[in-house]
Amino acid sequence: MNVRRAVKWTLGVLLVVAVVGFLAFLYFIPPFTLMAPEAFSGPEIAAANVVKLEAITDPKTRALAERGKYIVVATGCVDCHAPPSAAGPDFARYMAGGAKTAIRGHGTFVSANLTSDRQYGLGRRTDEDVLRVLRSGVSADAGRQLWYRDMPWAWVANWTEEDRVAVLTYLRQIPAIAHKIPPPSTEAAMTYDPAAIEQASTVNAGTTP
Amino acid sequence: MRFLSILLTSSVGLCGVASAQTAGKAIYDERCVQCHGVDGRGTGAAAPVLMPRPRDFAAAQFKLRTTETGSLPTDDDLIRTITYGVPGTSMPGWQKFLSTADIAAVTTYIKSFSTRFAAERPQSIPTVAASVPGAPTSQTIAAGKAVYEKLRCAACHGTDGRGAGAIATDLKDDAGRPLPATNLTEPWTFRGGATPQDVYLRFRTGMNGTPMPSFVTAASETELRNLAAYVLTLARKPVWEMTAEEVTAFYKAQAADAARDPVRHGRYIVSTIGCSFCHTPVRIDGSLVDGMLFAGGQKWTAAPFGDFVSYNLTSDKETGLGGWTDDQIKAAMTKGIRPDGSRMLPFPMPWPSYASLTEADLNAIVAYLRTVPPIANRIPAPARPNVVSYLWGKFQLLILKKDMPLVAYPGNAGSAGGV
Repeated sequence: MNVRRAVKWTLGVLLVVAVVGFLAFLYFIPPFTLMAPEAFSGPEIAAANVVKLEAITDPKTRALAERGKYIVVATGCVDCHAPPSAAGPDFARYMAGGAKTAIRGHGTFVSANLTSDRQYGLGRRTDEDVLRVLRSGVSADAGRQLWYRDMPWAWVANWTEEDRVAVLTYLRQIPAIAHKIPPPSTEAAMTYDPAAIEQASTVNAGTTP
Repeated sequence: MRFLSILLTSSVGLCGVASAQTAGKAIYDERCVQCHGVDGRGTGAAAPVLMPRPRDFAAAQFKLRTTETGSLPTDDDLIRTITYGVPGTSMPGWQKFLSTADIAAVTTYIKSFSTRFAAERPQSIPTVAASVPGAPTSQTIAAGKAVYEKLRCAACHGTDGRGAGAIATDLKDDAGRPLPATNLTEPWTFRGGATPQDVYLRFRTGMNGTPMPSFVTAASETELRNLAAYVLTLARKPVWEMTAEEVTAFYKAQAADAARDPVRHGRYIVSTIGCSFCHTPVRIDGSLVDGMLFAGGQKWTAAPFGDFVSYNLTSDKETGLGGWTDDQIKAAMTKGIRPDGSRMLPFPMPWPSYASLTEADLNAIVAYLRTVPPIANRIPAPARPNVVSYLWGKFQLLILKKDMPLVAYPGNAGSAGGV
């Protein structure tokens, strides 16, 4: 009798502890407020170190690439151009692209592969193609502008041409990763589409502040 | 009979214009609206952040012409700009993507935004056809330097040509927006090109809509050609033509310039790094609200963590950064710590990226933000979900591996509203 009651109680307490523990685990994980800020900025900044600029033999290329690296890292290009994974952005596959963004009324967009890969990355683009996107948002494939709420080209367009060339020099150093990115959806309205916007305004009616 | 043929020709001509306009509109709506806007007013979705601002076709003030000052451009002038683009700006050359016929059609459509094209004829300058200048000599350059002084070019462009003359900081375009004087030492940014003929044309025709006048009455053609020869000698090498040592020295000099004028340097970083992408309200069509740049108010939902509204970065003392210390601004930017000590998620505010900014650049950014005119727009505190929905959201995120995307909302969630 006493033994059965003791077992019951123990099981009950264990169950309560397990449930509370599980809820506490859910509540605190990932523990944004318990981790040092450096736990977030460190890996992101370190990700750029897969690009070995010290191995560049031409000192001019290296000087430009160093400047380009500073700009690219501070601008946070990798925030969108790292492949997404269950554990957050996959910095190990640096700049391999593939992250999806949905913008109501404009479509779904997928970030490009910025590595030197000749088949899927920037390796298949001419210098002018890359500079043109960074200057005016006009992509070489589409021959028209990317939507600026997706690829924020309107800001990087304000780089001086000299900084843009430095960025290009750095991007050319990123090791190739074969990571195929689907082409832009044909339904995606990359430019002003009154019909799509009309639809978006209906969808958003309840949440627009 | 003759009357009839005139009538026929003119109606055929009109039909041609009408179909070119339809074709032109289709091209325009697909490729030009993001900057120039559907109505051609130069206020497209991305326009508020572009430097310089996109052309306002309704105002019909064009910079790059072969016509007299104040006059409309010729069709060829417009076609040249669309074909080759405008250096130093976001206007790309379209020759790779559009046929000659397409470019002609879009030119016709662009002209339809202003009634001026129907009412006036462009007045071409007389000398443009026969205007191949000889190679510059030391004499023409020396003479050009005297013209630079005579016409007081230095008042805006500075004696060294770097665009920092005495009145340069007050320059505005016709719409009243600040417009810095061109840095004459960087010819790769000259809007109309950098051949002696290109540069001469800007002096001869002026740049409509900007403070750059025509000097046709103030100097002779020879003087203006000599001036073009002189201005081109002010050029420095761009980095892509420098040696390694020159690049290193250039970056050092650039850093010294930045330290001398942190506000200007901070403006450059802020304009490129994308602060206004989030810290400006957007309309339902995705366009940035002009006049509310840096006022914050964009709401984002980062499920299951809550709703976050972008902060007011203007210098407003009550609702903006005016009441923050420099260190508070820097802690928010690089550590995601708010002045009250609370912590930001590592997104949507990308502070983990900004953590890599140098101290000098951070100080420059702060110095610039202090100069952003105040806009009163009180931003609500982050809205956290209740414990139950938070736990349920976390369960979906971590256990069910549900994709919980960031959602950005149009409108202004700040107290100024009005979007």
